[in-house]
Amino acid sequence: MRGNNWTNVLINIGLILFSLACIIPFWLVLMVSVSGQNALAKYGYSFWPKEFDLVAYKFLIHDAEPIIRSFGVSIAVTIIGTIASLAITSALAFSLSRQDFPYRGALSMFVLITMLFGGGLLPWYLVYTKLLHLQDTMMVLIIPGLIGGFNVFIMRTFFMTSIPPSLIDSAQIDGASEYRTYFNIILPLSLPVLATIGLFVIVNYWNDWFTSLVFIKTDTLYNLQYFLYNTLMNAQYLQAVADKAHIDVSTMQTQPLEELRMAMAIIAVVPVALVFPFLQKYFVKGLTIGAVKG
Amino acid sequence: MRMRRGSIVLSSLLLSMSLIAAGCGSNNSANNEAANQNKANNSSNADASGNAGNTSTNAANATNATNATNEKKALDPYEVVMVYPDPNQSDIGTVQSAMNDYLKTTYPDMNMTVKLNPIDWSAYSDKLNLMMSSGEKFDLLWTANWMNFETQVNKGALLPLDDLLNEDGPDIKSVEGDLLEGARRKGKIYGVHVHQELGNPQGVAFSKELIDKYHIDLSPLKSGEFKDLSPILQQIKDNEPGVTPAVGPAFPLGAYFGSGSMENIIGPVGIDQRDTNPDNQFKVVDAYETPRYMELAKLTNEWYKAGFINKDATTPGIDIWKKFQAKTAFAAIGTDLEIVKDMKIGEPSLMANKSTQLGMDIIQVPLNIDRLHTSKLAATMQAISQTSKDPARAMMLLNLFYKDKNLLTLMNYGVEGTHYVLNNGQIDLPAGKTKDNVGFFHDNQWQLGNQMLNYTRVGEDPNKYFNYEQFNEMVKSQPSPLIGFVFDSEPVKNELIAVSKVQSTFDPGFQSGQLDPEKDLPKMIDKLKSAGLDKIIAEAQKQVDAWRAANGK
Repeated sequence: MRGNNWTNVLINIGLILFSLACIIPFWLVLMVSVSGQNALAKYGYSFWPKEFDLVAYKFLIHDAEPIIRSFGVSIAVTIIGTIASLAITSALAFSLSRQDFPYRGALSMFVLITMLFGGGLLPWYLVYTKLLHLQDTMMVLIIPGLIGGFNVFIMRTFFMTSIPPSLIDSAQIDGASEYRTYFNIILPLSLPVLATIGLFVIVNYWNDWFTSLVFIKTDTLYNLQYFLYNTLMNAQYLQAVADKAHIDVSTMQTQPLEELRMAMAIIAVVPVALVFPFLQKYFVKGLTIGAVKG
Repeated sequence: MRMRRGSIVLSSLLLSMSLIAAGCGSNNSANNEAANQNKANNSSNADASGNAGNTSTNAANATNATNATNEKKALDPYEVVMVYPDPNQSDIGTVQSAMNDYLKTTYPDMNMTVKLNPIDWSAYSDKLNLMMSSGEKFDLLWTANWMNFETQVNKGALLPLDDLLNEDGPDIKSVEGDLLEGARRKGKIYGVHVHQELGNPQGVAFSKELIDKYHIDLSPLKSGEFKDLSPILQQIKDNEPGVTPAVGPAFPLGAYFGSGSMENIIGPVGIDQRDTNPDNQFKVVDAYETPRYMELAKLTNEWYKAGFINKDATTPGIDIWKKFQAKTAFAAIGTDLEIVKDMKIGEPSLMANKSTQLGMDIIQVPLNIDRLHTSKLAATMQAISQTSKDPARAMMLLNLFYKDKNLLTLMNYGVEGTHYVLNNGQIDLPAGKTKDNVGFFHDNQWQLGNQMLNYTRVGEDPNKYFNYEQFNEMVKSQPSPLIGFVFDSEPVKNELIAVSKVQSTFDPGFQSGQLDPEKDLPKMIDKLKSAGLDKIIAEAQKQVDAWRAANGK
C-alpha cells in the first residue's frame, strides 16, 4: 500500500505541476488585464498588480458596440450551430448505426472519406462563394462546422454499443414510428454522447476565426475570435509596415494597450469556461465512449 | 462477428489517425494545402515560364489594341475594383459614390466607376491569394515585396505593365521615371511604385527633458558615430538611477543593417560599403565577418555590461515609446527618425509627430541616411490583376491618382465637410468628431498614387511633402551600387531558411549586447557556414556578376 501512496503522490505532483503550467499564464493574463495603464511598461509582468485598475474593462465598455456585436454573432452562431449540428450528426449517426439501413456501408465510407481527405482551401472557398453564394452571411459561419466525420463515428459507436437493438425493436413493436423511436427513445438515452459532442462543437464554433477571415467582409458579422485576432493583427501589420516598408507610421493608430488585449482575451474565454462545468458530468462519462466496447 | 471486429479495429485505427490529424488543427491543414497549391502553381509556371509570360503579354497587348481603337469611339462603362488593406470604414459607401460622381463629371470620356474593396490587414494576404486563385475579377491591388509580390509575379497573377504604362500612364511615368525600375522582374514591370519618401534617416531619439536637465551637448554626434554617445549615456547612468540610458529594442546594430555600412542583398549577405578597396566594390561578403560589425557588436556589448541597455530589451512586445512616456528611458539608439527640413548628420531637431503622439518632446539626431535601394522601390506598389477585364482602364485610374489631387484626397481623407475640414490648408476632423466616429479615417496615403499631392493633417509639418522631396534628392544622390538588381532566392531557398534560423538564435543576443562578440561571433559564423552561408554568398556573387555584365556596371 505504501508503494501505492507514493505513486499517488507522484501522480498528484505531476498533475499539480501540469495544472500550474495551465493556470499561471492564465493568471498572468488576468492580472495584466486589471493593471493600471502603462503599469506593464513601468514594472513589467507581475503576478500581483502594483496598481489595481479596471481601466481596460472600462475602456471596453466605453467602446463596447463592436465587441458586443461580435460577441452576439459568436453566441448566435455557436448556439444555432451546435443545435443544428447535434441534430444532423445524431440523425446521421443513428441511421448509420442501424443494421437494417440500406447502403449503410457506402454511406459510412462516404463519411469516412471526408474525415481522411479535405478538399483543400481553394475548392472550399469556391463552393461557398461561387456555388452557394454564402459569403458575407451568418450562414457561412454555421454551415462549414455542421458535420464532422469524427463526431458522426463517435455517435454511431455509442448508438451501436450502448443502445440494445432490442430496445428499438420493442419500441417499434409497440407501434412507435422511426421518428418517435429516435426522439423519445434514442435521444434521451444518449445525453452523455450529445453533451460530449456538443462540447466539441461548441468549442469548435466559438474558437473559429478562420472562416470569418475567409468569407466575412462586413464588420458587423465578425465573430468575437476574429474581432480579437483582427485587432491584434492590424496592430502587428502596422508594425510590419513600419519595419519592412520603412514608412513613417508615426501618425498611424498606436497599438492597443497590452492591458486591453488581455482584457479582451479574458472576455473571450469566459463563456466557454462557463459552459464547461455544466457539461462536465456528461463529459467524463462521454470520454470513455467508444473506448473499449464493441 | 469476426467481420465486425475487423471493421472496429479498422475504424478505431482510422479514428486515432484522425485524432492526430484533428490535433494539427483544420485551419493549419487548410493553410498548408493552400501553400502546397501555391508551390504547385509556381513550379508549373516555372516550367512553362517562357510561354506563359509571352501569352499573357500578348493578351495584354491585344486588349490594349482593342482599347486604343475603342477610345476613338467611346468607352463602354467599366467598374474598376480596387483591393487594398485597410480596416473597415463604416462610411466607405459615401466615399465611393463621391469618387464616382467626381469621375463622372470630371472625366466623362473615361466612363468608369470605382469599387473600393478593402480587406483587413489580418486577412489581406490569405484573401488576396484566394481571390487570385479563384479567378475573381478585380483590377487594381496593393502589393509589396514584403507582402508576396515575388510570389504573385511568379504565379502569373499580375499583369506586366510596360505597354499599359506607355499607353495610359503618362503622369505615372513623368512622376516616377526611373523609380519604376524597382518592380522589374524578368524584364517586365509588374508594379507601380507609390511616389513617396525613398528611404529613412536612422539615428538617436532622446528625451528632451533629460537633455535639458543636464545641458547635454549633442555636437559630438556630428561625427555620425554611435561610439561618441558613450559619455552621454554614462552621464545619465550616473545621475538618473531609474532611467535606462539606451532603451531597446532599438540598437545600433539594427541600424547598421538598415543601411549605413552594408548594401544588403539577402539575409546577412551583401556588399561592405566601408571597404574602400576598389576591387571589392562588388564583392559579396557576410555581414557578420565585416570589421564594422565586430566594432559595433563590441560597442553594444560594452554598453550592456556598463548597464546602459535594459535587460528586457529582447523580450517580445516591449514598446520603447511607452518607456519614454513612463519616463524610464533616455535614448533610443538606431531607430527610424522623422524626415524634417534640411536633414544633416548629427543635426538635432524636434521629432514633431512622435512628440505630439507621446505628449512629450523627443529630440532626434540622424546618424545615417538611407541610400536608394532597389528593395525600397518595391516596398509599396499598386499592381493590376491578371483577372482584370480591362487593364487599360485600371491603368487610367491609377494614372489619375498621380495627377489629380481631388481624387486622391477623396480616397485618402473622404468627403470634405463630412469626413474632414480644411484648416489653414491642412486636414482636420470636423467639429465634434473623433477619428473613431467620423466614419472614414485611415492613414493609407502611402498605398496609392503620388503622395506629394496629399494634404497634411493638422499637427503635421505643413511642409511634410516638401521635406520629403528634399530628402528624396539626398537619397537619390547616393544610389546603392546595386540599384536595379533583384536577387532570385530560388536556388538557395533551403540555405536561406537554415541561415535565418541561426540568425534568429544569435541576433537578439548581439543586438542587445548580451553576447560577447569576441567569444560568440566566431561560433555564430561557424554555424552560419555549416548552414550553407558560403553557397548563398557564391550564388549572390554569381547573380551580381551576371547583372553587372548585363548592365555594363
